[in-house]
Amino acid sequence: MNKPVLSVRQLSVTHRLSGRVVNVLDQVSFDLHQGEILALVGQSGSGKTKTAESILGLLPPDRWDISAQAIELNGSDLAALPESGLRKIRGRSISMIFQEPLTALDPVFTVGNQLCSVFTRHRGQRRREAQTSAQAALGRVGFPDPGHVMRRYPHQLSGGMRQRVMIAMAMACRPSILIADEPTTALDVTTQAQVLDQLVQLGQKDGVSLLLITHDLGIVAQYCDRALVMLDGKIVEQASVEELFANPRHVYTKALLNSAAGAKPK
Amino acid sequence: MRYALNKIFHGLLLVLGVTLISFILMVWFGPDQTYSLVGKNATAEQIAEVRHELGYDRSFALRYAGYLKQLFTLDLGSSHSSGEPVNSILARTIPVTLALMVPGFVLGNLLGIALGLLSVQQKGRWTDRLITGFSVSSMSISFLVIIILMQVILSTPYGLNLFPVRGWQVNDPGSYLKYVAVPTLSLIFITLGYNTRFYRAVFAEEAGRDHIRTARAYGASTATILWKHVLKNSLVPIITRFMFSIPLIVVSGSLLIESYFGIPGIGKVTFDAITSGDQPVLKAVVGLTAIAFVLIQVLTDFLYKLVDPRIG
Ligand SMILES: Nc1ncnc2c1ncn2[C@@H]1O[C@H](COP(=O)(O)OP(=O)(O)O)[C@@H](O)[C@H]1O
Ligand SMILES: [Mg+2]
Repeated sequence: MNKPVLSVRQLSVTHRLSGRVVNVLDQVSFDLHQGEILALVGQSGSGKTKTAESILGLLPPDRWDISAQAIELNGSDLAALPESGLRKIRGRSISMIFQEPLTALDPVFTVGNQLCSVFTRHRGQRRREAQTSAQAALGRVGFPDPGHVMRRYPHQLSGGMRQRVMIAMAMACRPSILIADEPTTALDVTTQAQVLDQLVQLGQKDGVSLLLITHDLGIVAQYCDRALVMLDGKIVEQASVEELFANPRHVYTKALLNSAAGAKPK
Repeated sequence: MRYALNKIFHGLLLVLGVTLISFILMVWFGPDQTYSLVGKNATAEQIAEVRHELGYDRSFALRYAGYLKQLFTLDLGSSHSSGEPVNSILARTIPVTLALMVPGFVLGNLLGIALGLLSVQQKGRWTDRLITGFSVSSMSISFLVIIILMQVILSTPYGLNLFPVRGWQVNDPGSYLKYVAVPTLSLIFITLGYNTRFYRAVFAEEAGRDHIRTARAYGASTATILWKHVLKNSLVPIITRFMFSIPLIVVSGSLLIESYFGIPGIGKVTFDAITSGDQPVLKAVVGLTAIAFVLIQVLTDFLYKLVDPRIG
């Protein structure tokens, strides 16, 4: 197997609010290998989104405590980086796509503006140059008229289109890792397949390793190489997808598979 | 285009509504001036004649139309107490009030915005607590205490004695600064707590939105987050607060500041007109305030469309 691009060791996260402390993640450890598509499955509230957010250091420190032995990205430890260092990683080495396409983009700026700022920020491009790059990025995710989409505001696009804009933004800097947090849960079934196909194809073309968060075992079976099963903030099982479907070990995994009868690995 | 027509139509309806209310309260049910004009022992004919001259024998609709005509042609008559034409009173006092109130109003809001942003940036840390504590405690200090303290500290021999306590002898930029300084500082301190608390709440809500997480996930700095995303998304509530404070500040704020600093602005004129029952002045002030309110509303709607692409 390829060497890991991302290596998470003993990641624990607690939430503090007026004296009450809740353990949200408990000693989460896993590897994401070069070029692989790794599924993170688990029911709603199990801690999938918080896993992604804490890798990127997005949880506000006034309410969240994050501790990890290491979060290694290509050999350097993100857990030891200060905020300024993390900012250089975010959207450049690790990108993230969110569950809700309706609210994930800023409603009062155009798609072009938001896309361009990734190029000016991480690639040091000037306005003109960034606009050309942004149009090219939109072209790559299949928009026939990128110039037109650039001038649109998020509310003027459909859910599927917004999610494709997010994919364009995520791929803008050819990251090593893309975390997609239930990217199609909010979309209708036909759009779901289009968006996922696009995501996976682009990812393979660019050699991106994908952490795909989902609670849909059909998606896991169809697209993923390996899977992590999360329950109440712990990873209770990890295996190749074939093995997981053929020989689930944890009772929770068995229950999941039973409730999703019909899903078969590719 | 249809939108604009629609807005103008709504504006006109509003103008009719508010002027109708002010007409009913101020003119139709207002004081009867007949007896102060006819003198003692008047005959019934004399009384009828005066009433005819004052227009009291005409129908409600005609008198309302007359009132509207007065307002829109700015043919507002003369003050009963001084005999000065109302137009010239307004032309003399409104600029004074604007010159007096605008700096404090604008600075108070800008400072509130700056403190609100700083507070949200430092959320949960001691700067935030300090600002929040300051806002809450300053809101509990009476405006009277603030004005008197300002006057004592800045304008009396007990304090720095830098500025005049009262009055408005303004004839050049230097004297303007001298007379506007203390009222402006007072106004800023009276409103700053409220402004800061309001803006902090708005910014905190906007800072918690999903798209803020997206911006952070793509490497945006705190400055970009606050000054670009949070601020622009907060413009609708900011505009609302700013615009709808204008009538309040001009009418009641100036009444307060002008009476404590002895400044001859529209607030003082209104106050005097109320106490002496000076009808033509009151009619003009109330009617024009109503029209100004409607204009502000139309302008506000237009500004909303400018800052938020989802509106319209
Ligand atoms: N804003 C929050 N405040 C308090 N607790 C939260 C918040 N967001 C998430 N949690 C806690 O973290 C747990 C994991 O949340 P999350 O990672 O969003 O789950 P998932 O993405 O798997 O649905 C939730 O069960 C909840 O208890
Ligand atoms: Mg989630």
